[in-house]
Amino acid sequence: MMTGIGASKGFGIGKIVMIQDVDLVIHDTPVSDPEAELTRFSQAVDTFVHRTEKMAAEIRTRVGEKEAEILEGHIIMLQDPAMSDGVADGIKEGLTAERAFSNVCDMFIGVFSMAEDELTKQRATDVEDIRSRMLKILLHVEEVDIRNVPPHTILVAKDLTPSMTVGISKENVVGILTEVGGYTSHSAILARALGIPAVLSLADITTKAKDGMEAVCDGESGTVILSPTDAEKKDYEEKRLAYLEQMKALKEFFGKPTLTADNTSVELVCNIGKPGDATAVLEASGEGVGLFRTEFLFMDRDTIPTEEEQFQAYKEVAEKLSGKPVIIRTLDVGGDKEIPYLHLPKEDNPFLGYRAIRVCLDQKDMYRIQLRALLRASAYGKIRIMIPMITCIEELRGAKDLLEELKEELRSQSISFDENIPVGVMIETPAAVMIADLLAKEADFFSIGTNDLTQYIMAVDRGNAHVANLYSHYNPAVLRAIKHVIACGKKEGIMVGMCGEAAADSRLIPLLLSYGLQEFSVSATSVLATRATISKWDKASADALAKEVAALLTKEEVESCLKKNVR
Amino acid sequence: MVSQKITIKNEQGLHMRPAGVFAKAVAPFQSDVKIKVGDKTVNGKSIMNIIGACIKYGTEIEIICEGADEEAALKEAISQIESGMGE
Repeated sequence: MMTGIGASKGFGIGKIVMIQDVDLVIHDTPVSDPEAELTRFSQAVDTFVHRTEKMAAEIRTRVGEKEAEILEGHIIMLQDPAMSDGVADGIKEGLTAERAFSNVCDMFIGVFSMAEDELTKQRATDVEDIRSRMLKILLHVEEVDIRNVPPHTILVAKDLTPSMTVGISKENVVGILTEVGGYTSHSAILARALGIPAVLSLADITTKAKDGMEAVCDGESGTVILSPTDAEKKDYEEKRLAYLEQMKALKEFFGKPTLTADNTSVELVCNIGKPGDATAVLEASGEGVGLFRTEFLFMDRDTIPTEEEQFQAYKEVAEKLSGKPVIIRTLDVGGDKEIPYLHLPKEDNPFLGYRAIRVCLDQKDMYRIQLRALLRASAYGKIRIMIPMITCIEELRGAKDLLEELKEELRSQSISFDENIPVGVMIETPAAVMIADLLAKEADFFSIGTNDLTQYIMAVDRGNAHVANLYSHYNPAVLRAIKHVIACGKKEGIMVGMCGEAAADSRLIPLLLSYGLQEFSVSATSVLATRATISKWDKASADALAKEVAALLTKEEVESCLKKNVR
Repeated sequence: MVSQKITIKNEQGLHMRPAGVFAKAVAPFQSDVKIKVGDKTVNGKSIMNIIGACIKYGTEIEIICEGADEEAALKEAISQIESGMGE
């Protein structure tokens, strides 16, 4: 058994076809006529462009716009002045077209793979693909064609280049295994777009796998078994059918309201990190945004984003969600999130230090910019403001006072905003739990951030392997905190939601329903599964389970009880 | 020579698509179009150079144009960055 990165969900059972790339040998014969060599190169470029345009057109109809654009990008890159000038220089110096082109590609592969950001790094794969295809044209070597592989094929390759992927279809390929690549590589994106299971980053798969060998793969866990036994094959076939069944069942929940089995409606919204994610929310039929982390706007830059930049980002999300609620959390800096230009001092205990609202109320000029941008954006949709890391009433009041000042300012400038913009508290500290009854009187809503709340309640650093086992929301201490917060919110008639990972935990959902949680904020990919789980529970059975769990003393007992009852 | 500073608004920075749109938009001008980012200066007509410069969201860059139609080239370059290259 081997394990790699599960990059596209699903189970594949089939026979291996190895995609071997031929070695491209460049012969460095002296060039006597550079002009003729240049012509030979530009003819190869023409052939490349012609072939690639054809592939792009085909992939556009078969897979999608995005995948086609990747290939069209190859044409643009090949015809780039930096590329052609470099090749021309090399040929004039006496190099063959192959060598001159290969050198230029090497240079760009070097530059791109040195880059810090993932997107630029991936461009190195594109240049590699362009080089290999151009060399094949120049050296008259046939390109690999995946179109003709038999049905039930599991493709094995070192890496799938964008051009190879053209021939892949669900009809013949049931799995993709590669030696390199990650969740965001071309192969992964394509596999997900086509719905073909894929496992990437499998060490030595190209030497261990042989043509015609049987294999099974699990694209979620990243497990691969070469030459599986009959029992293993049977097991995977059952899993495969169950998975397909489950996918079909989840589809039924697309675009439906989120209702419990006894027709109580709850809100099912999403957590997002940047304005672009709003699209994924809508595509997943999320009912709004329960947590928009604004840190992204502040990261990877040298200065505080201007009011205008922030306004545009918030407005974009509000408009995209067209009237659906959008909870935007104000800057949560400090802790493990560092923003260099704010010059926050190094601390021994950053999670107990200068963080989030503590920074914002101290650096009011910076906070004013964000709050003003949020107010202005509130004229374009249903924005709610959420304050992180609250531990006392003064902090909530501090933020609200500042908002009132800014509202006055906007009124005097005749700039429109939502006069009744709700201001809520992110419940993530034990202090906020203890005074949830008091906070509920002054906040318009609560959202329980279970990731940090678990860490603070259990006094455990989740990154520390020695104590990480304590980090679990099944601890009775955490469950009691959640129950208490929801009860306090309900008593004052304010909405209580949850935006941590726990909200999408199918085991915990019945407890949350029994406690009275009104809003579940999950990642876009968890929307349908969460909606399905919620639909299976009615008040009476959720209450019965909550009662049973309340009598348990340890997190193991809680976890196994919830696991047993999962629906 | 004319130049102007401007901040990148594209969420994911000048990756392949916006870099391509930019390079294509300034290519027809006779003038040289350069992008200065930090202490690096790259050819604004080259998508490969732009991608290699790794220009991220929120970064301030300077567009420098030099040649017969430098004013028009700068105007086009700035309007492209301002519009986020259609993203």
